[in-house]
Amino acid sequence: MKNEIFLRNLFQAFYQESQKDIPAVSMLDRREFGFLLWDNKFMQRHLGFAEIEDLRQFLIQKSPMHAYSSGSLYRQPDNDDMENKGYQGCDFVIDIDVDHFYTGCKNDHDLWYCKECGTNGRGMIEKCPNCEKLKITRVAWICENCLNIAKKEIIKLIDNFLIPDFAVNLDQINIAFSGHRGYHLKIEDPRIRTLTSDQRREIVDYLTGHNISFEILGLHEKASIFGLIKDNQGWSNKIMTKLEEILRMEPLEIEHFLRDPNWGDLNSARISSLLKYREEFLEVINSKQQNIWSIEGFGLTTWKKLLRAVVKKVGAEIDEPVSIDIHRLIRYPGTLHGKTGFKVQELDYDQLDEFNPLNESNELIDPIVFESKKQITQKLEITDLKVPATKIKGITYGDYEWGEKIEVPHHVAVFLLCKGVAKII
Amino acid sequence: MSISYELVKHYPWLPSKKIYYSEIAAKDPVEFIKEKIAEYPDGELVDRIFSIFKTAFENVEEIKTYKADELNVYLYTILKILLYINNSVPIANRVANLYAKHTYNKMIREDNDYNLYSICKDLKLNIQYYDKAVPFGLIIEKDRKQVLQTQFSIHYIDYLKLASNLRDDHRKLVHNVLNHGFVLIDKKELTRLLQEIVRKKLLIQEAKDISSLDDFKNKLLEIKEIRELNERILDVWELKKDEFGEPYVFKYSKGENVEESFPPCIVDILKKVDEGQNLTHIERLFLVFFLHALEIPIDEIVNFFAKLPDFDRKKTEYQVEFAKKKGYLPHSCSTLKSYSLCRADQYKDELCLEGYYSKKLESQKKIQHPLHYVRIMQYRKYRPKEEVQTKNKNEK
Repeated sequence: MKNEIFLRNLFQAFYQESQKDIPAVSMLDRREFGFLLWDNKFMQRHLGFAEIEDLRQFLIQKSPMHAYSSGSLYRQPDNDDMENKGYQGCDFVIDIDVDHFYTGCKNDHDLWYCKECGTNGRGMIEKCPNCEKLKITRVAWICENCLNIAKKEIIKLIDNFLIPDFAVNLDQINIAFSGHRGYHLKIEDPRIRTLTSDQRREIVDYLTGHNISFEILGLHEKASIFGLIKDNQGWSNKIMTKLEEILRMEPLEIEHFLRDPNWGDLNSARISSLLKYREEFLEVINSKQQNIWSIEGFGLTTWKKLLRAVVKKVGAEIDEPVSIDIHRLIRYPGTLHGKTGFKVQELDYDQLDEFNPLNESNELIDPIVFESKKQITQKLEITDLKVPATKIKGITYGDYEWGEKIEVPHHVAVFLLCKGVAKII
Repeated sequence: MSISYELVKHYPWLPSKKIYYSEIAAKDPVEFIKEKIAEYPDGELVDRIFSIFKTAFENVEEIKTYKADELNVYLYTILKILLYINNSVPIANRVANLYAKHTYNKMIREDNDYNLYSICKDLKLNIQYYDKAVPFGLIIEKDRKQVLQTQFSIHYIDYLKLASNLRDDHRKLVHNVLNHGFVLIDKKELTRLLQEIVRKKLLIQEAKDISSLDDFKNKLLEIKEIRELNERILDVWELKKDEFGEPYVFKYSKGENVEESFPPCIVDILKKVDEGQNLTHIERLFLVFFLHALEIPIDEIVNFFAKLPDFDRKKTEYQVEFAKKKGYLPHSCSTLKSYSLCRADQYKDELCLEGYYSKKLESQKKIQHPLHYVRIMQYRKYRPKEEVQTKNKNEK
């Protein structure tokens, strides 16, 4: 309770000081708002604000742990009956969150405990490797590498899909660092607002490459195997361009990609075969006269396996349900994330490339708002079995273990308290 | 941009009709019909309308009496009025399917592709027409090389709105060429999308306010020619309706009724079948695989398909038997989601959305397969009484 009061007071101080910096999203009076308060386990939804000032006052008074608003517009956003809310359309919302995809560094910093048998370990697992039960507690951590991968995904999404294929203008896009493990992107276009969930799924499939049929793109067997053609625009071209790029890498890099179970997952014989016939295959890829894919040991199944790995490289790793669900709430820009104490930071497209949420040099877009200029520190006791190391503002804190007493800078203390792995002493 | 008078006569569902035939909208419908019947005393108007209904009930795809004349414009309006007063979704679906298919056949034969562009523009579709065909790909197979090209592209929002209803895999956005917001589309595919627009224009929603519908219907049926026409239509429908089959009662081979155990994805397809709506290829496959998995006899599955507007018994028997031999399982929930056939949200189905509690695994489990859903529902229906009582006590 002491932790919560401490954090709530800090959040309140932030909202009081920075109230003018809380932006007004477009058509604010038609958005539904939701909040998770410190003393309540359930989200308060179906709230509406006529003016940005009303929202700012609410944030100061309640200083919520989490604050959200809808991508949707409603005639009566505060009506708690979804049927009578008067749905008027929904922005297209994209969430890229490293929680949802594999990054190598998770093996270093993500922890798990089995509630059944007490086994613990690092990395991403579905069930306990010891007792095979599903009662797993996960401690998902963050690092610069994870957040950098998420950032690259959002840049890829904009540069390779939204601008060239969907002709989305940069002034229609709102980008924000989520305050934790990813980025949000919202496209505000009156035409997109009219799309149903089913139609949004089509866009999601296009952005991710999920549910792609290689047969429809041309892969088939008729005595020989005929493959995809690079000159064919659309996903065929995306796949073949990426495949060519991979095949032009150093042999060791190619082998790594082909062997990795998270990518190609091919056996040694097939890898050797592909490397052996690599030059011939590159010629076929760029030929306008022939299209027979003939590599020893490669049947349709193997080709599909390889193409699926390439699709994974090309597509963007987005959290699909967020984009499909038209009644979803998303974090409100400028508010604080209750699991980190970091700000949900709006960003311009031009700022993305250089942006580093854990060590941002531009104060105007620094999401770490509790960094003390007076070098104030805080004494804490670790309450979790293990706490992974965290590099914030260029300094690494941890690993820590249960019961350890530490003294850390104010912003690091806020982070560890929000993460729920420490208590104030 | 308004469309030519000639095109409106060919395609009387075009929005520009109101420019050339503003008097139709201005008049009382009953007076309008009386006037037109008087204008065509030889009975051609009535005969041509009847022919459309009769053709629709016979599962033929071409309206032999169709003529692109002025009468065609009036006829279309009266056709819509008749569909409205009969308030029968299955009848409207059959007529809509026929009329749309006929329109497709007409449009695809249009020599002048610019007409197709004009039609799209009139329908307010965001479309681009290229004087010179734009190449977008190649087919290379052995000695055959073919350049893929088109003169049309359509904005992806319009494309999604039209194509997502058709749900065929090759129409998925991911399988098409999307450039600067526009999907390159060939004439055949574009025409198929227009067919869907025409079909929707003739569909009806079953009227809820029956009394005001009846008032209007009674006034209309006071016109002798319309009353007789409508009786003829309904007589043919009564005869044909039986051929389309009665609503099917689902049973396991053991004999128990399992319809109430069906997941919403299947319930939704069954609803479409019941209303005589056409099913997509994927919906048909899914339904056949599902019914096979429940071990429903082949002839009963075939009878079930008899309600579809394009039913052909021999073809259906062959396909159902073929599917049985192949022994394919119905699609999983994730596959159904990818085909946009999952209806869990729409039907707010608790089992689909929340899953169920597995005692064995001591955790909440998700439904991942429609057959899994049936099994859980059947288990809940037939579980031992003591178990139900214990559960109720616990719930209290």
